[in-house]
Amino acid sequence: MIHFAEIVLVLILLSILLSLASNRLLALVKIMALQGIAVSILPLLLEHYRTMGSGGLIFFQMMLLIKGVLIPGLLYFALKKISIHREIEPIIGYHASLFVGLLIILLAVSITDALGNAIPTGNALLLTTAITAFFAGLFLMMSRRKAITQVIGYLMLENGIYLIGTALTQHSHISYVVEFGVLLDLLVGVMVMGIILNNINHAFDDIDTDNLNRLRD
Amino acid sequence: MHLLLLSLLIIAAGGIVPVLLLRFFPLAKCSAAILTTLGCLIGLYSILTATHFPFSISWEWLHCCALTFTFDSLSRIFLVPIFLISPLAAWYGVGYFSQPEKSLRVAVNYFFFALLIVAMVLLPAADNMLSFALTWETISLASYFLVMYDYHKESTRNAGYLYFLFTQSGALFIFAAFGVIFSFTGNLDFAGTATLPEGVKLVVFSLAFVGFASKAGVFPLHFWLPHAHPAAPSHISAIMSGVMIKMGIYGILRLYFLLAPSSLAIGQAVLVFGMLSGVLGILYALSKNDLKRLLAYCSVENIGIILIGVGMGMIGIALADPVVTIFAMTGALLHVLNHALFKPLLFLGAGAVLQQCGNGRIDQLGGLMKRMPTTGKTFLLGSAAISGLPPLNGFISEFLIYFAAFHALGHSHTIFILAMLAILSLVVIGGLASFCFTKVVGMVFLGEARTPEATAAGPVSLPMTIPMTILAGCCLLIGIFPTTCINFVHLGLADYLFFDASVTAQLTSVGNNLAIGCRLFLLLLALLLCIRRLFYHNKTVTQGPTWGCGFTGGTPRIQYTGTSYVRTVVSIFRPFVLLKESKIRLQAIFPSRTTYCNHVSDIAEEVSNRGLALPLLWVLGKLRWIQHGNIQLYIGYILLTILAVLLTLLI
Repeated sequence: MIHFAEIVLVLILLSILLSLASNRLLALVKIMALQGIAVSILPLLLEHYRTMGSGGLIFFQMMLLIKGVLIPGLLYFALKKISIHREIEPIIGYHASLFVGLLIILLAVSITDALGNAIPTGNALLLTTAITAFFAGLFLMMSRRKAITQVIGYLMLENGIYLIGTALTQHSHISYVVEFGVLLDLLVGVMVMGIILNNINHAFDDIDTDNLNRLRD
Repeated sequence: MHLLLLSLLIIAAGGIVPVLLLRFFPLAKCSAAILTTLGCLIGLYSILTATHFPFSISWEWLHCCALTFTFDSLSRIFLVPIFLISPLAAWYGVGYFSQPEKSLRVAVNYFFFALLIVAMVLLPAADNMLSFALTWETISLASYFLVMYDYHKESTRNAGYLYFLFTQSGALFIFAAFGVIFSFTGNLDFAGTATLPEGVKLVVFSLAFVGFASKAGVFPLHFWLPHAHPAAPSHISAIMSGVMIKMGIYGILRLYFLLAPSSLAIGQAVLVFGMLSGVLGILYALSKNDLKRLLAYCSVENIGIILIGVGMGMIGIALADPVVTIFAMTGALLHVLNHALFKPLLFLGAGAVLQQCGNGRIDQLGGLMKRMPTTGKTFLLGSAAISGLPPLNGFISEFLIYFAAFHALGHSHTIFILAMLAILSLVVIGGLASFCFTKVVGMVFLGEARTPEATAAGPVSLPMTIPMTILAGCCLLIGIFPTTCINFVHLGLADYLFFDASVTAQLTSVGNNLAIGCRLFLLLLALLLCIRRLFYHNKTVTQGPTWGCGFTGGTPRIQYTGTSYVRTVVSIFRPFVLLKESKIRLQAIFPSRTTYCNHVSDIAEEVSNRGLALPLLWVLGKLRWIQHGNIQLYIGYILLTILAVLLTLLI
C-alpha cells in the first residue's frame, strides 16, 4: 500500500531543497508552482479529510488555482517584463544554503519530537515538513538580494504556515474561512509586489533590495 | 437620573455637529457652543437636584467586561466645575477661533473638546478599573489632540509630545497599581480594595500617586504644564488647568477612600508634596516672563494648596480628629472648585491679551487696562482671588485649610512640625502669589504700552468677554455667600466620612463668620470708593500720561519691567530656581550700552533632563546600529526571535 500523502510530503521537501539550491529565477518560479500544487492537494490525501462537503471541494479547487497557477503566473510575467534571470551574489551561497536546509530539517524533526503527544496522530511527518517550509522560507528571504526571491520566500513561508495549521488542527470548516482570507491577501500581495518590482526596476535598473537600504532614517 | 445621560448625549452631539457643518464656519462654532451649553445646563440641573445619591449606570461590553459608573457625593463636587466651565470655554472659542480658513481644525478641536467633557464627566463616576482606565485614557488622548491645535509649529509639537509622554507613563503607573489590586482581589471591581494588607495598600497608593500626580502637575512631575499650556488655545488651557488636572486630585482622593489605610505616612507624604509644589510652583511662576507659562506654574502652586488640604485631611483621618479632617478636606474641595473658577478666568484673560497683542511676553505689553477694560478688570479680580485676598473665593478655601492646620498644632511632635510647616508654606505661597500677580497686573495692564502691538490692542469680542464676566461674578459670589458653598462642598464628603454634628455646626459657624467678614470688607471697599467719588465730585481731574511725573523726555522703555520687579525675590530663593544671569558691569564714567538677560530653569526639568533623558538618549544612540536598513538582516531578527521562542518553549 502506497501512502500518497507521504509521497507528496517528500515532494514538498525536495522542492524546498531545490529552491534553496537553484540560482535561476525562472526555475524558482516553476518550483514554487509545483510546491503550491503539492501543498494544496495534500490535505485531500489525509485521513480525516475524507468526508468533505461541496464547500470544502470548492475551497481546495480555488486554492489549487491560486497557489498553483495564478501566483506563479503573475511572478512569471513579472520576471519576463523585467528580464532578470539570475540571482547574482546571494548573501549565503547555494551550497551553504543547501546545507542550512538540511539543518533546518533536523531542527524541524527535533521540534516535532519535542511536541510529542500534542499533535494529532499520523501528522508528525506533516508537521516536520511544515516547519521546514516555514523556516526555509524565512531563510530564503534572508539570504537573497533580489526582490523577487523575497516574494518567493514569503510564499514558501505562507505554505509552511498553512501546513502547520493543517497539521495541528483537526478538520473543521472555520479554518477554511481563515485560510481563504489569507489566500486572497497573498494573491493581492503578490500582485502589488509585481507592480512594485516593475517600479523598482524602472527606478534603479535592478531589483536588488540593497537599494532600499537608503530608506532608513 | 437619565437626565445626566441625556446631557452627555447632547454634549457629544455638540462635538459631531460642527464637523458636519464644516462649510458654514460661524454656524459650526455656534452650534457647538449652543449644544455644549444646553448639555451642560441639563447636566448641572440633574446633579444639583438629584436626591438619591449614589446611583449607578452599568452595561456589559463585549460580553465580558462590565462598564459600571456610580455617581456619588464626591463625584458630584467634581462634576460641578466641569459643567460650569465647559460652556463658557465653548463660547469663548467662538470668539477666539476667528479664521474661517482653519474651519476643519476648529471643528476637530470642538470634537475633541466634547469628547474630553464626556470623558471627564464619566471619570469621577467610574466604579471599576475598566471604566476608570477607559475614561482616563480618553481624557489623556482627547486633551493631547486639543493641545496639538497649532500642530504646524515645532514648539507645539514638542509640547504635545512631552504631554503625551507624561500622561501615558502616568497611566502606566496607575494601571500597575490596578494590577496589584487585581492580583489580591481577583476581580476588576474597586469594592474589595479595603481588604488588602496594609503594606500592599502603601505600594498601591504610591504607584497610583505617581500617575495621578503627573496628571495633576504635582512638583517633580509638573513640567509638562508650562510647555503644554502656552501651546494650547487659551480656552483649552482654561479647561485643562481649571478642570482636567483636578481629575488627578480626584483620583488621589478616591483611591485613598477606597483603600482606607490606617497609616499616617500617606497623609504626611501628600502634605510634603503639596508644600513642595505650592512653594516651588509660585516661585517659578514669579520668575517666568510668558503670561501663560506663568499661569501654568501658578496651577502647580494651586494644586499644591489643594494637596496641603488633602494631606491635612488624611492626617486628620489617621489621627481620628474630626475637626482637622472635615475642615481640611472641605477646604481642599472648595479650593478645587475655586481654582476651577479663577484659573480659567485668568487663562481666558491671557488669551484675550494674546489675541490682541500677538504675544504673551509680559515685558512687551503694558497699559492694556485702558484698551481692554473688561478683560483688565476681570483679570484684576481673578488675580486678587487667586492670591487668596478677601472678599473673594480663594480666601475662603485657604482660610479653611489654615483653620485645620492651626487645629492640628495641638497634636504631638511630627504632626506639630508638619502643621507648622504647612502654615508657613501657605503664608509664603500667599505672599508670593500676591507679589506674582501684582507683577502680572502691573506690567500687563498698568503703565504704558511698551511695544506698537500693545498700543494697537483693542477690546475683544462679546463671546470672549461674557464668559470672563460670568467667572468673575462667580468668584465674588462664593466670597460673599461662603456658608452655602461650604455646606454644599461639605456634603460631598457625605458618602465617605462620618459627620460629627458638632463639627458640622462649627463649620457652619465659621462659614457665617467668614460671610460677615467678607461682606463687611466689601462694604468698606464700596464706602471708600463712595468717599473718593464724593471728594473728587467738584474738582477737575486732569489726566496725564502714566508715570509722567512731569518728566517729559521719558519713553515707555524706562518703565519697570517684570524681570527687574521680581529679581530680588527670585535671587533670595536661588538654590531652588537655578537662576542664570549675565552680570551688568558699568565701566568708565560714560558707560556704553549694557544688556542684561536672565534665564530661570526648572530644577525638576533640569534634573530629569540631565539624569534621565540625556543618558537614555546616549544609550539609545549606541544602539542605533540595530536600525541599519538592511531587509535581509531584519528578517534575520525575526527568524532568531521565532527560534528563540520555540526553543525556550520546547527545551
